[in-house]
Amino acid sequence: MIRTLLVALLLTVASAGTQAADLQSFGRGSWSKLRAAHDGQPTVVHFWGLTCAPCLVEMPEWGKLRAERPDMKLVMVAADPVPQDPARVTDILARADLARVENWAFTDRFNERLRYEIDPAWAGELPRTLLIDRDGKETVLTGVADLAEVRAWLDAQKNR
Amino acid sequence: MRGLLVLAALLLFAGTAVAQHKHVKPAASTPEAFTATPAFGPDGTLWLVRAMADRIVVVRSTDLGKTFSEPVAVTPEPTNLDWGPDARARIVVDPRGGLVVTFAIFQDRNFNGRAFYARSKDNGASFAKPAPITADATSQRFETATVDPATGRVFATWLDKRNGPKARAAGKPYPGAALAFAWEDGEAGFGPTSIALDNACECCRLGVAFAGPGKPAVVFRNIFPGSVRDHGVVTFRDEKTPGPVRRVSADDWKIEACPHHGPSIAILPDGSYHVAWFTNGSARKGLFYARADNGDTPFGAPRALSTAKRQPARPYLLANGPALHLVWKEFDGNKSTVRWQMSQDSGRQWSEPRTVADTDDASDHPLLVAHAGRAYLSWLTKADGYRLIPLEGQP
Repeated sequence: MIRTLLVALLLTVASAGTQAADLQSFGRGSWSKLRAAHDGQPTVVHFWGLTCAPCLVEMPEWGKLRAERPDMKLVMVAADPVPQDPARVTDILARADLARVENWAFTDRFNERLRYEIDPAWAGELPRTLLIDRDGKETVLTGVADLAEVRAWLDAQKNR
Repeated sequence: MRGLLVLAALLLFAGTAVAQHKHVKPAASTPEAFTATPAFGPDGTLWLVRAMADRIVVVRSTDLGKTFSEPVAVTPEPTNLDWGPDARARIVVDPRGGLVVTFAIFQDRNFNGRAFYARSKDNGASFAKPAPITADATSQRFETATVDPATGRVFATWLDKRNGPKARAAGKPYPGAALAFAWEDGEAGFGPTSIALDNACECCRLGVAFAGPGKPAVVFRNIFPGSVRDHGVVTFRDEKTPGPVRRVSADDWKIEACPHHGPSIAILPDGSYHVAWFTNGSARKGLFYARADNGDTPFGAPRALSTAKRQPARPYLLANGPALHLVWKEFDGNKSTVRWQMSQDSGRQWSEPRTVADTDDASDHPLLVAHAGRAYLSWLTKADGYRLIPLEGQP
């Protein structure tokens, strides 16, 4: 019981993040850890890239959605094919007011492997959004996400 | 109690953070160029240009890649090399044994590039100070130099953004970049730049093959109406006159971005065209190959290479006499493998795909190179370094 509570509190602390951007290194095996940490919770995972122009255009919209839905479990993964300077990644996140969400960045150049662990058929195109429900079922939104669809999905999770 | 729990959770969190996550240290890493590109000299010397993080070097091998010379610097000092996934320093050897290296740097954080070339007149013992390939400083990337096999003249083509600011100043949108070209102009370097066409996709490598003397054929990811980023081939009528765009395939990949995944082309002595490419279009997704009988006929039906679940990527074609070789990279869940197919009937029938190399870490694109009638896979991997692998079972 105490342990469960502790884990719940831990996750709250981890996702709320009280300090500046805490960028985690996404490498081999990170995806299964990330999924396990969010097991049973509806989670939005947004893959973006510093080298992806439409991602940078879209980013502030995610910041707004985050402000509007503070209870949303949002995970941002910078999935550039060539690992980027973390200082620049956190800078872009901070500008979109997304520094305090759960942030990850690809740091392994073996991009094929990281993508394969997430989805074998993902060719690496960005942006890409995964809506993962309580049962672990994934809905993939490729390209710039229709945030109305994300909102509707979030509402549907509450009503389940 | 509640307070205690919170404290415990905070402490636990702090502990877990250190134990479980490798946090990214600010400024711990910057993107790095990691490529090796080969060219054989007429005497059988294998020349290799390496982009190594912030410098370009050339090495040579006289024993088919078993051993290499000490590196010779092309860039005199550390530089901000273009590390884009499709960017590549290249080397060509002209019929007189002269060497030309091309590469690009990033000028700024907006991925505006500057393409350079450097020539060696002393058989690779040293290289002249790199000079810009063109006078316009707006942006050039994906520079690709090729020797016209008939004339020995070096042809360079690249993606050039010079027309973007002008269009936007006039209130017109300008997606992508222009396909630009120039020919070597003797000892003076490259001659004046011409624009073959505007609005090609801006982040994909180009492929070049020769259809005849003074007639390069360039394959590139084009932007067709509606931001559809499918492939086209332009064949020059003569050195100065690019022909029309011939579409390779209607994949209907509508995307407001550039996928950093360019095509490859080969032309056989029978005049047939062969193109391999990646797409994620609504009509088809994955890696494909198509052929055309000559420079005028439409391309035939695309043939899928592998399946999308194996992430087939980075195709490369080589005509070696009448034989046509095709390699690509795919991922099997643990390893990246290089798959190889060969055709001896102008790309109509192909051998069964075979794995000719693999690696369990990051790797450069697989390339093909030929000398004295034999074709080789040229591949740089993190785990094994550079390898020149003879393709077995050739006629």
